[in-house]
Amino acid sequence: MDRRSFVRLLAAAPFVPAAPDEAAPKLRIVTSYPPAARPGMPGPHPGRVIAVKSEKCVDTVTSAANADVVREMMTRGMCALTGDRTAPEAWRRFFVPADIVGLKVNCGGHPWVVSAYEIVAEVIRQLMGVGIPPTQIYIYERFQNQMDAVNYAPHVPKGVQIVAAETANRRADNRGYDPATYVEADLFGEEDTRSNMMRLVTQRLTKIINIPNVKDHGATGATGCLKNIAYGSFSNVARTHYRGKSHTLSFVGTLASVEPLRSRTVLQIMDGLRGVWHAGPFARTRRYVFYPKKIFFGTDPVAIDRLLLDIIDEKRKAEGAISIYDRSPRYLKVDDSAARDADPNVNVIIREPGHVEYAAKLGLGVADLAQIKVQDVEV
Amino acid sequence: MTLLLWLAALPCLYWTQGADSAPSLKTAGIERLCVPSERADEWRKAGFSPVAVSEGDLAVRDPLLPPGIKPRTDRASATRSPWVDANGWRFVRHPEGQYVYDDLPAGRAALAAAEAYAYGADAVLKIDPADLEGLGKMMAFLAQLPANELPDVADLAVVDDGSGPLGEVLNLLVRRNLLFRIVKAPDPNFRVNVQLGTKEYPMKEAGEPSALALKIRRQLTDEQRTLRIFGSEVVIARVTGDDTRLRVHLLNYGGRDIEGLRIWIRGERPGGEAHVAGTGRVALPERTVVDGATEFTLPRLGSYGVVDVPPVK
Repeated sequence: MDRRSFVRLLAAAPFVPAAPDEAAPKLRIVTSYPPAARPGMPGPHPGRVIAVKSEKCVDTVTSAANADVVREMMTRGMCALTGDRTAPEAWRRFFVPADIVGLKVNCGGHPWVVSAYEIVAEVIRQLMGVGIPPTQIYIYERFQNQMDAVNYAPHVPKGVQIVAAETANRRADNRGYDPATYVEADLFGEEDTRSNMMRLVTQRLTKIINIPNVKDHGATGATGCLKNIAYGSFSNVARTHYRGKSHTLSFVGTLASVEPLRSRTVLQIMDGLRGVWHAGPFARTRRYVFYPKKIFFGTDPVAIDRLLLDIIDEKRKAEGAISIYDRSPRYLKVDDSAARDADPNVNVIIREPGHVEYAAKLGLGVADLAQIKVQDVEV
Repeated sequence: MTLLLWLAALPCLYWTQGADSAPSLKTAGIERLCVPSERADEWRKAGFSPVAVSEGDLAVRDPLLPPGIKPRTDRASATRSPWVDANGWRFVRHPEGQYVYDDLPAGRAALAAAEAYAYGADAVLKIDPADLEGLGKMMAFLAQLPANELPDVADLAVVDDGSGPLGEVLNLLVRRNLLFRIVKAPDPNFRVNVQLGTKEYPMKEAGEPSALALKIRRQLTDEQRTLRIFGSEVVIARVTGDDTRLRVHLLNYGGRDIEGLRIWIRGERPGGEAHVAGTGRVALPERTVVDGATEFTLPRLGSYGVVDVPPVK
């Protein structure tokens, strides 16, 4: 046996209860990649979040972003995070010219809430400023059809790679995944019990920048840094929700903790220019779209996501919708996504916002609000 | 095995058109042909060696489902575990049976031919003429496969009580690639013997065949299975073998090619090769041996392929 097999059993894992009567599944991590001396998550800034807000960053009538304002927000955010005076100095703390950098974007909320072109373009501009050629920069997602719909190509320099692991979400393309790096779990008796990490992550990239959105999620409560990097870098993850139940509580954080994903994900930039407060992770209409007008910076995905839970829950409260923490069966209409889309007081799955706290217990970051230091910056 | 005997092992296309359609059959490469009795002579004159099949002959054959997937949102989900119509359990339960694929919709003929072949079933295919070319290619592929007359490999035994409810349980076992042998009484060679109506397997559990199949899987444990498949929920395998080799028949019911299918076989095996319809002979890359099992990747699988692996070291 020439690879190390890490077995994480429920009894040995920190446990955040999903529900009193429900056992968490056994998850087995298989990887040959050792962790870095200082893994990217939580990185050098555990428990620290820079929240940059600008009233001018997005036009709420047209939903268009202002590229100049976004660029200024990016500069201020990165400098605040690192303590540097200029953006190039800040970016050089994370990247060197030899790096091959992946930008994990989110295209699932097309057309209204996806990783903003303006943010992605500015990230690439700064990476090139570090000396990384565009051919060493990859924008990636799991599904090519989603990437095609969002279409980053006109917004980024020629040579930047835009890639996906699968043609579409149809479970027929496995070649983009590493057969030797996976999490094995029998969640609902499915035959295929493996979720494999993308080959791009294991075999090509040296660093990853995570660029999620501020979104509600029917299974996890909210989807931000953790779920974007986890479910967006592994195959066969839809199996975690089934008939109203979800095993996302432990699965999201566990996926994010797998090497080399954990070590190589060195920067979190959460796009909160726009958001979706219900029926996420999709945003097929503007009905549930809102505008936090923020960008969050950090290296700790847990801390940012802990803030995200409150953002989504408070927005839902303001709209008169049930809390993401509500587990009552009376709001549950299993598999009825049409009812969910029509009524913000309908869940299709019992949500698991505890996945953020679970990830903290796995060492991915800080979930305790009392220990999270938020630095607000106004542009 | 002679060519004629080998051809006889292939499923037979039932073709009702007259001999004036012979050129299209020849173009498609169809050699094995079943025709209505009254048309047998004209097909002989056209240079074929048809098998005459009467209406009565057809009527006694057991009808089969068109193999493939279909939407059943109440019972399955599109991406997690699609609903698969497969006939393997019928062939395993009644290997001497005679079958007919009745009025196969377009696009299903090649898979149906492969399915019948994989289980060695005596089957007649009534196809949509649009599938002639695809069927011809599949039949040509099947005809050139290296002969491999090996017994079934099984991980558990099922006592066949002849009941209808057991049929659906068998279907779900096949569907989940749980390899079983039909027996008349519990077989001490198997750790798991399934017999409906016993304390361990009450008849009422047959009412939830999917749950019962899962219970059986967990009794067996995944580690003790001969074969597992990763990367798809729509590939069904039949495994044959002995001390000298193993053959894994892989039937893809999903209707689209699957790339990078990962095959796990219990035991340390030195290598192997695959023959894939539409591709031919292919190597099996990314082979690893971990925890007493061998894994490799099948780069691409269309409707059907076989994997031949040497014996356990």
